Amino acid sequence: MTKEYATFVRDRTRLLNGREVVLTLRDLMPGRKKYRGINVRAVVSQPPRPGESRLWVRSVVGLKDPNPYSVKIVEELPELFDAAPYSDFFEAMEKAERR
Amino acid sequence: MAHKDLRSFLAAIEASGDLININDQVDWDEELSGIGRLSCERNGPAFMFNNIKDYTSDWRILANPVAGWRRFAVALGLPADTPIRKLYDLYAEREQKLIPPTIVKDGPCKEVVIPGDKVDLFDLPVPMVHEGDGGRYLGTWDLVVSKDIDSGWVNWGMYRFMVHNEHLLTGYPRPTSHLGKMLLDGYAPRGKFMPIAIAIGADIPSHLAAASTFRLAGDEADLAGGLGERPVELIKCETSDLYVPATSEIVIEAEVYPHGVAQEGPYGEYPGYRSGEMGNAICARVTAITHRRNPILTLDTTGFMDSSAVTTSITGAIAIRRRLEKHGIPVAEVYMPPEGGVHMAIVSVRRGGAENARKIVELLTARRALVSKIIVVDEDVDVFNISAVLHAFATKCHPARGTHIHRYEGRANALTPAYSLEERVARSGASVAFDATWPPEWPREMTPIRATLDSMYSPDVQRRVLDRWNALGL
Repeated sequence: MTKEYATFVRDRTRLLNGREVVLTLRDLMPGRKKYRGINVRAVVSQPPRPGESRLWVRSVVGLKDPNPYSVKIVEELPELFDAAPYSDFFEAMEKAERR
Repeated sequence: MAHKDLRSFLAAIEASGDLININDQVDWDEELSGIGRLSCERNGPAFMFNNIKDYTSDWRILANPVAGWRRFAVALGLPADTPIRKLYDLYAEREQKLIPPTIVKDGPCKEVVIPGDKVDLFDLPVPMVHEGDGGRYLGTWDLVVSKDIDSGWVNWGMYRFMVHNEHLLTGYPRPTSHLGKMLLDGYAPRGKFMPIAIAIGADIPSHLAAASTFRLAGDEADLAGGLGERPVELIKCETSDLYVPATSEIVIEAEVYPHGVAQEGPYGEYPGYRSGEMGNAICARVTAITHRRNPILTLDTTGFMDSSAVTTSITGAIAIRRRLEKHGIPVAEVYMPPEGGVHMAIVSVRRGGAENARKIVELLTARRALVSKIIVVDEDVDVFNISAVLHAFATKCHPARGTHIHRYEGRANALTPAYSLEERVARSGASVAFDATWPPEWPREMTPIRATLDSMYSPDVQRRVLDRWNALGL
């Protein structure tokens, strides 16, 4: 069964720059652990590539892009990003991406 | 006297016809919260879900404990049909009679104790409240305890928390909230973890106190005692020196990281929108969970006319009234209609005019600015009668002279849907007072007279009309 994830983005163009990106994914596998979050370094593709996990992208207000993406997880990252409380989460992810 | 715990409150609202039990299996993933949401929008009852998909029947979820005036009345130990004005008066009266809590060594919330290394937040049937939320929200109708690192002052607040993984929560107490200030000014600069306790399903007065706009350094446990007319029993946490209501259904003990962020939100919030305020949050690792047997997880299906809208309608209005009185505004009454999503207040004054309207909007936005629309009316307008308020607003508020806009930086409500993303990030905003009072400088003989029965007819005619009206059985 193909795994499915959701992610939230402020700027969708960041996903498809051909490079590895840092994201938080929510696991959409049905069951008790649905929506579990993981932080990853990954490559995102659209249209989805065969054999890769399906990715649904939502905006910062939760609006779902009806066109699916695919995601290949390169590395799972620690559960916290390096930033002070109340820092901009998207900036913290981009900072992690540059490392 | 209010009910001692959630379960006795539930028995009371079941008896008054304000609680429906659902024994068929319902999905925690949007379905049960969808039922709760519809109930808020239709002024319906509370729902108890006794059979939740993927979870054993030990776990139950209560949706919308006090999302309606009838349940609010029962929560204060009154008949369900108590008028709103009486609820306001009674709350204001009890708020002045604080009753300190008592400390107990044992209590129902300790019936099951799960130590930190055994905690798995997915063992709790945390609902997915709205389609498209950032995750599953545990803290929607909660009571979060925190302690100031310097003064030892203990604060209770109602703040949202989302499950990130088995042991990590992310949350959004506003940075301007008491908890946010404690973290940013006290723990974070010292690099220390901040202990918190999230109590779920405590007695209703405790949650009302947590949701209230109580004074800085005030003790919400005393307020809860006053509101319930009995001391709240508090019990010590397993992993910190914080105390929580002993009858709580579930207690999540945790520590807020002094450094580090993770995804939080977006979430469909109490103003009735999901506004894209996601990400700028705090993170907490769970250190223990304790709960009653057959625990009840309480859920506020956040949005239009939710439990917080009804609660804040009273607690916010009374806080506004006290603040205005303290600063010499001749305030008569204040009402925050729950339909306004904690963004609107109606203030009646014994003396109107531009100066008072300007002062009111400045006073109500001095520290943090949650209310963005204030309608100021003369005291002969019943603030609880929205038709009368709308009439006054439409006819007495001068479109230019009657509009008093006050702008501010750094303390606007990031959840206000009208603000742009940039304004929300910078917490930059404005509030406006609409002055629907007669200018005091207008001579009485030139001031328009309202063409209503109570204003444009002699007392004798009013009496005769009302007698005839009643005799007709109308």
